[in-house]
Amino acid sequence: MKEHRLRWHGKYTPWLFLIPTIVGLLVFKLIPIFTAFYLSFTRWNLIGTPEFVGLGNFKEALHSTHFMQTIYNTFGFSILYIIGSMVVGLFLAVLINKKMKGISFFRALIYLPVVTSSVAVGIVWNWILGPNVGLIAKLLLSIGINAPYWLGDTSLALKTVASVQVWKMSGYYMVLFLAGFQAIDYQVIEASVVDGANSFQRFFKVTFPMLGPTTFFVLSVSIIDSFKNFELIYAMTKGGPQNSTNTLVYDVYLNGFQFFRIGYASSLSMVLLLFVGIFTAINFYIKKKWAQPLY
Amino acid sequence: MIENYRKNNIIRLIIILMVSLIAVFPFFWMLQNSFNTEQNIFSKKILGLPELLFKKNMFENYIMVIKDYNFGRYTLNSLFVSGLAATGQIIVCSLAGFVFAKMNFKGSKILFFLLLLTLMVPVQVTIIPEYYIMMKLNWLDTFLPLIVPSFLSGALGTFMLKEYYDMIPNSLLDAGIIDGASAGRIYFNIFVPQSGAPIATLFIIAFMNNWNDLLRPMLYLSKEKLQTVTLALTQFQSQYSSRWNLLLTGSVLSILPLIALFIFAQKYIIEGSVNSGIKG
Repeated sequence: MKEHRLRWHGKYTPWLFLIPTIVGLLVFKLIPIFTAFYLSFTRWNLIGTPEFVGLGNFKEALHSTHFMQTIYNTFGFSILYIIGSMVVGLFLAVLINKKMKGISFFRALIYLPVVTSSVAVGIVWNWILGPNVGLIAKLLLSIGINAPYWLGDTSLALKTVASVQVWKMSGYYMVLFLAGFQAIDYQVIEASVVDGANSFQRFFKVTFPMLGPTTFFVLSVSIIDSFKNFELIYAMTKGGPQNSTNTLVYDVYLNGFQFFRIGYASSLSMVLLLFVGIFTAINFYIKKKWAQPLY
Repeated sequence: MIENYRKNNIIRLIIILMVSLIAVFPFFWMLQNSFNTEQNIFSKKILGLPELLFKKNMFENYIMVIKDYNFGRYTLNSLFVSGLAATGQIIVCSLAGFVFAKMNFKGSKILFFLLLLTLMVPVQVTIIPEYYIMMKLNWLDTFLPLIVPSFLSGALGTFMLKEYYDMIPNSLLDAGIIDGASAGRIYFNIFVPQSGAPIATLFIIAFMNNWNDLLRPMLYLSKEKLQTVTLALTQFQSQYSSRWNLLLTGSVLSILPLIALFIFAQKYIIEGSVNSGIKG
């Protein structure tokens, strides 16, 4: 089978077709990753030559409360985002997984925030959540409650930004779960109905376990996505107040392109890469052990 | 029993309506208040028609933002950059997807694996060296740094099209081989025409991603007249943070092309996102 297909193209044809892909992979992915790795051991301001400082940047990070706060925020945001987007996404999928007239219209409405820009989303939510003049503050005031400073309070700001991100992205997780529902064997569910299972039992004992591979796929997508919060944070809080919404991706930008501490920013980016790498490795391991990939 | 069933359906419909409202309301609120005056937007009233709606000078804010604040220009910049980047991506990704799906060669598996692995790497990891490359190439303050990287490193698109080409039966390939067509002809005359829908989907999704990108425009474009609409909106936000009516007008203008595209192609966008993990 394979033999005759080997001959239909020249030996170098695949490589010819892949030139742009390989150039892109090398120039914009692999070489930058290794360069950033090297730069993380240096002190540099983009001009002149990098000065080698060994583990200096990492030591500095570990001794700084600012960095610890950033790590705390990064994980805080990720956990809120992962749980929020999966729970809401699953809820929406269960809700909308029904043959009804016009259901695809509602699916599109719920998906709408996913395709709009984080910047526009950040601006409009900034306004809705704004103190005194914001819609929510006005609504709460009308029933006699003083609204908290959603984005100005250090203990609330991160939760608020993460919630807005969940609001923006849940439609995406909804359609991922919906696709998983298609793969479910409905005869099993019918059998459970015949056996007299109520809808709660049906969902938690039958449907949800069969969603295993999908749930796992959605989890790995949401973990990777949970780090992608730069735009929304830039549009909503710029890392403030008092560093309370500063995450790793934002801190790389701050150190690299606001303070021009290239070496330090590179070491932060390596910490980020390490986290992503650990999660990806765990994913790969579990995928092999447990779930059959759906996609 | 049947009555129960209908009752359930009505409850479900009500919840769906509420959820849809939550998803859409901020955009409605954005649109409504883009027709407001600066005085009126801070009024204590909760609801109430915006001042300018259905008046003679209804589009005052829009005219101001497009003319005086140059949003027309920024929109053209975004169209140009996103269009070109997306065009590049469909060419490069469909070529690569075709190779990975149908050609056997040494190193194919490793290369594909490497490509998938780089998908996980956040842009913040590579952006510093990338910036240095762009600086050395003298590409700062041109559109090239926004177009070329997205042109060349669309691993997601490659993945999506490979999956699609995998499903195209080998008999089609064999027919081409028997006719003595070259690999290039087989790709161009057989596989490209077969994959109109996924290529269009990839184009739209890549277009949207480039449209919404902020980090690269922020780093690479310092000249005002080169700004993309997403970047311009953040600049506008930091300069006129209290002129909410104009800021919201700018927001509406910046997402209007995306919403139009979404209405036009929502089925493809949603299905494409599911199949590949890419989203707009």
